[in-house]
Amino acid sequence: MRRVAVTGVGVVSPLGNNIRPFFESLVAGRSGIGRLSMRFEERLVCRIGASVSGFDAASLFAAPQLRMLDRVSQFALAATAEALAEAGEVLDDLDLERAGVFVGTGMGGARTTDESYFTLYGEQSDRVKPFSVLLAMNNAAASWIGMEHGLRGANLTYSTACSSSAVAIGEAARRIASGEADVMIAGGSEAPLNFGTLKAWDAMRTLATEDPEDASASCKPFARDRSGLVLGEGAAMLVLEAWDRAVHRGARIRAEMAGYGLCADPSHITRPSVAGQAAAMRRALADARMDPAEIGYINAHGTGTQANDSVETAAIKEVFGARAHAIPVSSTKSMHGHLLGAAGAIEFAASLLAMEAGIAPPTINLRHPDPECDLDYVALAARGGVDIGAFMSNSFAFGGTNAVLVARRAP
Amino acid sequence: MTTLERLQALLQKELDLAPERLAPDARLEDLDIDSLRLIEILFSVEDAFAIAVPAGADELRARLVTVGDLAAYIDSLLARKANPAP
Repeated sequence: MRRVAVTGVGVVSPLGNNIRPFFESLVAGRSGIGRLSMRFEERLVCRIGASVSGFDAASLFAAPQLRMLDRVSQFALAATAEALAEAGEVLDDLDLERAGVFVGTGMGGARTTDESYFTLYGEQSDRVKPFSVLLAMNNAAASWIGMEHGLRGANLTYSTACSSSAVAIGEAARRIASGEADVMIAGGSEAPLNFGTLKAWDAMRTLATEDPEDASASCKPFARDRSGLVLGEGAAMLVLEAWDRAVHRGARIRAEMAGYGLCADPSHITRPSVAGQAAAMRRALADARMDPAEIGYINAHGTGTQANDSVETAAIKEVFGARAHAIPVSSTKSMHGHLLGAAGAIEFAASLLAMEAGIAPPTINLRHPDPECDLDYVALAARGGVDIGAFMSNSFAFGGTNAVLVARRAP
Repeated sequence: MTTLERLQALLQKELDLAPERLAPDARLEDLDIDSLRLIEILFSVEDAFAIAVPAGADELRARLVTVGDLAAYIDSLLARKANPAP
């Protein structure tokens, strides 16, 4: 099996639309969560979310192309552009049949679907836009990335709810490791902040209650007063590359993609299990041939729901034993919200930047500890001077597909 | 304003093209109007002329080669709307 390098990272997020402001916000403990404003907003039970701002699609895409791009594809293309720019001449002198695109998304072009249903049922009109199918299809983002850059290798879209993009990254790394591909663009994108999707989440009763004093502080992972998750939007894309090729062309290797653990939690459609989460973490460590003691930071799935956070805490303790308490574990969802299908990718990006900087980003809003959640969650403020030789990023999903990624600092 | 003129104005706006490129004998293909773009244009035509375009994409693609063809086709649909077949 070949080694896999991460040579590019790009994000569009509620904390900024490229990696620098994104990471600065994480370190500053700034929240991207706030009140949402949209048609029918007064009918939302949960009126908060983490939306992307300052994203000027009209300046990034020509009008005829923009009419074919749902927000989810716009984010994916913008994040890819940043990742590729970071990676330098990664596509030069490359047989483009050996370059592919794997994207994770839970809800695809949900905004387009919502708008077409509004036309049909709300306006009682049959004037559904002619490209609705092309905008809404789940594989649109991956397809546009492939077309934009002429990549002729495997082009796949993974939809395993909240682990979609962790799966996309893990599977993409395997393609390179096995020798089937030399370069993969991998990550996730999600744009679920439309009325129809939000109402569906409202109905699930898993969304956070708005904090009465500060809406931006509503997501409280691992806290006793946590009340649920807060939806977010955005994208994160990585450039993965065969290690030797990256070395040969003198690329800046940002990390080694070291391990990927995947397993199913078949007992319940939503309820997580300690055994299932622990199994995915163990598999990722085994895949990386890594001693658990090497892990210097864990980016938790940490949704802020009662069920996840205590189960995840127990699973981490099961895998890491007594050392679990010595590892900084944070939920950056407290700041950027839950990006669903893009969560794994954006949290991998956050972890990678944290590893490079030696700074563990915080879990904000953790003022009232839950006795069942007793790890070091880097509460409230980032911590510098943390030696992170390797990190783990956890993604657990409705439907039970648990995916865990492990990466090492580049030598 | 004739149908042709209205169509030219619409195409100019949709495709961001100079008016002189939209002569009646201009080929849609030469204006980069592929099958997808044609579908999008027909959607706007339906709105602008308050007509329904009944044919499928393949049939239209075969029938409509130039800007003039498209204008004539719109005229035929307008006539059918004014005088529906008994």
